Amino acid sequence: MGVLFLSNGCKKYLDDPKENLAYTDETDYTISSNMIKPILGTYSEFNNTEWEDFPLIAVRGDDVNAGGLGDQQDFAETDRYNYNKDFWMYNSLWQNYYTNMFSANSAIEQIVLYKENGANQTLADQYIAEANVLKSWWLFNLSRVWGSILIPADATPSSLYVTPLSSKEEVMQYISDLMDEAIPNLVAVRPNERADIPGGVTKYTALAMKALANLELKNYQAVAEATGEIINSGKYSLEVDYYNLFKIPGKLSNENLWEMQYSDLGQGSGDNFSYLFAFFGPSDWNPAVAGSGPGWGFWEPSLKYIKFMLDRGESIRLETSVIFTNRGITELKSDPNYTNLPTWISNTTRSGDEFKDYARAMFASGKHYLPSDQLTEGRTEYGTNKNFICIRYSEILLMYAEALTQGASGSAGSADEAVNLVRARAGLSNVSGVTTAQVMDEKFAELAMEWGTRFYDMVRLGRTADLSYEGRNFEIGKAFLPYPQNQIDQLPVLGQ
Amino acid sequence: MKKHLLQTQVNRWMKSMLLLFLAFIGTAVFGQGRNISGTVYDQLTNESLPGASVLIKGTTKGTSTDINGQFNLMVNAGENTLVISFIGYETTEVALGSQNVVSIMLTPEKTSLQEVVVVGYGTIKVKDLTSSITTIKSEELSKTPSSMPMQALQGKVAGLQIVTNGGPGNSPTVRVRGIGSFPGHDNEAPLYVVDGMFFDNIDFLNPSEIASISILKDASAAAIYGVRAANGVVLIETKSGSYNQKPEFTYSGYAGYQVAQDVVKMANAEQFTAMAMESGSAADKSFIEEAMQRYGRSRVNPFIPDVNTDWYNEILRPAKISNHSLDFSGGNEIAKYSIGTNYFFQEGLLNMKNEYERMNLHSKIDLKATDWLTIGCNIVYSNATKYNDQAGAWNQAYFAVPIMPVHDEFNTNASPTNYASARSLGYRDGQNPFPAMDFNIDGMKIKKIIANFYMEFDLVPKTLTFKTTYNNYFMAIDQRVVNLPWYIDDGFQNVDATLTRTISKDDNKIWDNILTFTESFGAHNLTIMAGTSFKDESFQKLTAQGKDFPTNMEQSWYISQSANIPSEQVSDDGIRMYGMSYFSRLAYNFKDKYLLYATVRADGSNKYQQTWGYFPTIGVGWILSEENFLKGNVNIPFLKLRASWGQLGNDHIQASDGAYTTSIANTTLGGIQYAGTVVSNSFSYLKWELVEETNIGITAKLLNDKLSADLDYYIRDTKKAAIPVIIPAVGTSVMRPVGTIRNSGIELSLGWSDRINDKLSYSVGANVSTLKNEVRDLYGQSYLDGGTAEFRQRTYVGEPLMAFYGREVAGIYQNQAEIDADPVAITNGLVPGDFKYKDQNGDDVIDDDDRVILGSYFPNLIYGGNFSINYSDFDLSCSVYGQSGNKILNRKRGELIWTADGNLDADLATNRWHGEGTSNIYPSSAGLRKGWNQKMSDYFVEDGSFFRIQNVQVGYTIRDSKWLGGQFPETRISFTAERPLTLFSYNGFTPEVANGVDTQTYPIPAIYTIGLNVKF
Repeated sequence: MGVLFLSNGCKKYLDDPKENLAYTDETDYTISSNMIKPILGTYSEFNNTEWEDFPLIAVRGDDVNAGGLGDQQDFAETDRYNYNKDFWMYNSLWQNYYTNMFSANSAIEQIVLYKENGANQTLADQYIAEANVLKSWWLFNLSRVWGSILIPADATPSSLYVTPLSSKEEVMQYISDLMDEAIPNLVAVRPNERADIPGGVTKYTALAMKALANLELKNYQAVAEATGEIINSGKYSLEVDYYNLFKIPGKLSNENLWEMQYSDLGQGSGDNFSYLFAFFGPSDWNPAVAGSGPGWGFWEPSLKYIKFMLDRGESIRLETSVIFTNRGITELKSDPNYTNLPTWISNTTRSGDEFKDYARAMFASGKHYLPSDQLTEGRTEYGTNKNFICIRYSEILLMYAEALTQGASGSAGSADEAVNLVRARAGLSNVSGVTTAQVMDEKFAELAMEWGTRFYDMVRLGRTADLSYEGRNFEIGKAFLPYPQNQIDQLPVLGQ
Repeated sequence: MKKHLLQTQVNRWMKSMLLLFLAFIGTAVFGQGRNISGTVYDQLTNESLPGASVLIKGTTKGTSTDINGQFNLMVNAGENTLVISFIGYETTEVALGSQNVVSIMLTPEKTSLQEVVVVGYGTIKVKDLTSSITTIKSEELSKTPSSMPMQALQGKVAGLQIVTNGGPGNSPTVRVRGIGSFPGHDNEAPLYVVDGMFFDNIDFLNPSEIASISILKDASAAAIYGVRAANGVVLIETKSGSYNQKPEFTYSGYAGYQVAQDVVKMANAEQFTAMAMESGSAADKSFIEEAMQRYGRSRVNPFIPDVNTDWYNEILRPAKISNHSLDFSGGNEIAKYSIGTNYFFQEGLLNMKNEYERMNLHSKIDLKATDWLTIGCNIVYSNATKYNDQAGAWNQAYFAVPIMPVHDEFNTNASPTNYASARSLGYRDGQNPFPAMDFNIDGMKIKKIIANFYMEFDLVPKTLTFKTTYNNYFMAIDQRVVNLPWYIDDGFQNVDATLTRTISKDDNKIWDNILTFTESFGAHNLTIMAGTSFKDESFQKLTAQGKDFPTNMEQSWYISQSANIPSEQVSDDGIRMYGMSYFSRLAYNFKDKYLLYATVRADGSNKYQQTWGYFPTIGVGWILSEENFLKGNVNIPFLKLRASWGQLGNDHIQASDGAYTTSIANTTLGGIQYAGTVVSNSFSYLKWELVEETNIGITAKLLNDKLSADLDYYIRDTKKAAIPVIIPAVGTSVMRPVGTIRNSGIELSLGWSDRINDKLSYSVGANVSTLKNEVRDLYGQSYLDGGTAEFRQRTYVGEPLMAFYGREVAGIYQNQAEIDADPVAITNGLVPGDFKYKDQNGDDVIDDDDRVILGSYFPNLIYGGNFSINYSDFDLSCSVYGQSGNKILNRKRGELIWTADGNLDADLATNRWHGEGTSNIYPSSAGLRKGWNQKMSDYFVEDGSFFRIQNVQVGYTIRDSKWLGGQFPETRISFTAERPLTLFSYNGFTPEVANGVDTQTYPIPAIYTIGLNVKF
């Protein structure tokens, strides 16, 4: 009987705490050196973007076709402006970007706690400003894709239940205001000059975001001012080697205001941080470095774009943007106006990679191509170790130029000067008295295949005819994707 | 010759032991009077019974029958009655007349009412039960050739759903009375109690080690296990010897083959080509062209490639299964023992290193140390090796195109094997499942030990006992997943040799102290039990990974041989949980007519915010057959009404969900790795779920005990069920203890057994159970989404958990006239061959407002039956099993929405729409690729009903044979066909899909074995 009560002594173990948990409320916010961790976490979310995010944002427009034929039918349909709100990519992009935004808001809350516990106030404000710039990127792209969206007010997703829908104009104005708040707290250097967070956002990145948001608002004076400030800083210059700007030598170039960064850490095996560039790669190729992996055959530059470039006599930007296959070349030549192509056009790149014919696409995107001889020895995944550029200086120059042609006044020189800088690098002669239409042609030539810039420009300017190409029929009512059904189910405000 | 000698020696030894034993007993016989002699026989077989006890009524005088079943006994005048008893037979009294030689027939015990069943920390007579308990004996288990004891229960217990998992060494999914917890969170398993020790599964036990399995179904039966009991309790008693039992040596074994059943027929090259040609996709046509160029044209039809690979046929193999058990048991007055060993081996159906091998040892000894102290010790050691299947192969083989061979002689650069790659034809992926099967090895070494020691004190003889038991369970799993490098082509290769090693350890201890008081006061019979239980559970897991190690020899497959050890792949985890419980039981009956049963358990643990929980139950019973108006009625020898109520807990619910924790997020900036932190705010504390159950039932023995019947009705509510509450926009959810889920059903079991004559007897059994699963509350939400965005499963209040949710197909548009007449078709740009959906809300628009519940994956009817017949030395048994009402999401078909150019099943290819009138259920080949036709609809949701012949066994027993002058041991030879036939309409391998979503289900094999049992 005694034993019965003896066992009672074991009761004390019930008060033992649980094993192997690090609670956030146990975090010691007085260790100020840890304040950088939450913002690094937000950069990590930024770089760890899912492969489907970019394609859905950027597939529409007359510069690029879905490619990958026979695969991801509704992605191809989206390219043709036939939308399916049940398609998984729609929901995925929405969720990925909202997750990132809540994560950024959460990082801000953490930084505030460090700030309140004695961390350097200036540095804390800088990190908060950086988190807001990162957040603005996701807001900006979501609103371009869907128009009206919900702006997350804090780090708690359930707050969205009581958040009203903001129109695209409201979102863009919100971004512009948020950048105004952030700009004074950010460092006035190029991203590649930062030592604490190499390639991290700076004052100029925030100005670029402000310019992009105001461009959507057609507030051209604000565009001219923000881009003018970037130009006048003298910090940025165009990379001379356009071909390699999009390859290993172009990582953290003086032209880049923002890029998603990846690295194999210089090792032939082991940890590798990479974007899934295989999406853009050819289904079949004969790489200069044997064993280098091919890709899925998506992201096909349009015939319209190639012909446009040929008509302009472009070679530097055409070679960099488009990779040809023999089937594509034959298709080009089947148009009587293009029977005689420049001799440099072939299915082998200057780096010696031969692109064989494959059924999924006729051309591949050169800006998302990494020559096999630039792969770290031992690595075979297509494009691995390459960065993914988000905003570069030529876009700033061309936004500035457009703003001026739209009637804004600028302090960073003339529209001609800005356009000619871009043209000179592309090996083209100077023009004078540029019009808005000429700037748009220049943007088309310069920024094709990148982030849907062409599509959103044409939508903004109401140039629906330009988007109706190769059998597509675009009307302005198709500017935005329908909300993902899964989100309508969760957030009834989207269904109203 | 040697064998013969050994046998006769064993027989002689046994005989002399028995004689010695009888002589010893015999010395107790004394006195004067007349000498009675007689023989005791089995009434059924007419065989004599050695070792039966013969006692003079009212005295302690008696004897036992000898080897020939005979006895001699001196009886005094006035001693007129003998009491004859023997294990397994009904105790019989014989009035002595004037005769001095008697012949006594003992009837085998046919009524189980006097039997006791284990109820947790004690036993109770079956007749005194007020709750729903079903017990399955070892003989039933042995019929099923499986490493998993629970598999043998499929179809045998009303209210118990067993879903087979086909891979070797995989435990089946076991559900007692439906699912009361939100599925998919590893919280539905019942509690298994093996000789007092708690487990989440019993995959380490060989069925031959088990004496009985009892399913405690209702709250009243299970509540003594408190916070662990909500998913039902399965009590397992391992085999033990008996006191005064002659030593018995048994070999039992079987060997046979498993054959994949109902293999899905895939489209062949011709059907696939036809589909591709009709797809409207130029790319798909070009792949066919490419295949014809590469592999030639078929001589039969020059428009299809000369390759026709049936991928399922390629990856499947007939697989071996075998089992060998040796058991030795016996006992004398103070000791009983059961020791043995067994070996099990099973190959998987997948043609790769996929197998399960297990060697067990067990030993159980009980000793009556003094007349007031019994001590015992029990050890089971299980040592298994398991190689898991490459689960993705089932899915890959489904989609792999038939126009590609397994090996491709043109693939000269491939190494080490020249497997074919669909990339050579232009497809995005290699598709061939073989490289992954050949070069991935996922092996586990699983060692489990259960050991216990007890002491039982008779404080007041037959009235008050105290038992203290210490249980220890130790498990170590060493898992090594090796991915060897291979190269087929640049886009279909594995560059790095990777090995991941995971070592996990469980070390659980339970210390029970039980006081039991049994007494009768006149017509009042009372048993009171009170006890405490202390529990200490710890779990530890260490994982690390190495890359690029020397691959030639397995001996160098170590992390320390690796060129690269990624730091973020290292993880170390541990859990330590303590529990302290107090419990008590009262079992009372008045005049053996009115029954009262009550238990209460208080469970404390450090797992949840709230430390203590209390779980009471009460049950009542009324044995009508003891009342005067029924007593003596041979048609109703036993009839009992019973009712019970109780509360249980489910502590499989995690302590909290989401994270208020900070996790590390790595990235590179400027080519250097940085570690940041990401904080998540989706946090919720949870607690155990509370299950409240009411059960009413009838137990009856009818028609002279030939018919037995059990009928139960229950309502089981899970309150505070942890349900995932969606976090908007971010695609995750957090569990909150806010739901109410109801399961209710009727269970009926019937058994009939009869003996026609000495040689012929038979029995028939049937059980049927209904189940209704219904969600009663969801934290105020009207519904809850589950599944995926593409294959939506939605839980509505008033409907079953996770029902499939989508559109209803009304048919296929057959011609242009039909399109032109339908505004919906015009608006959506449809063509003949597309789905016509039902306009549920009648608004003349087809959109997501037309989605409805398409069915649930819970069967609402499960039934089983068995039939056995014995004729002389032959026996035959057969059991069947079936279920209906459940739906299966054929996600294999559905995954076409992600990659449209793979293969499809033949049913779809043959019956696709390809012109007016060709199909009203399947769309055209082009239609399959259109978003319109890919919406979640009942096209993807199929009927999961099935009927199966579960087991057929034929046996022949050789008894009482002389062989080369010695006694030939009792030998039974049997043939078994396990699951030889399953009837179902679902387009998949098997309708047994635990969560109703079929992506890569392991096929369930039919098993054919030959078995041998030898008893010395």
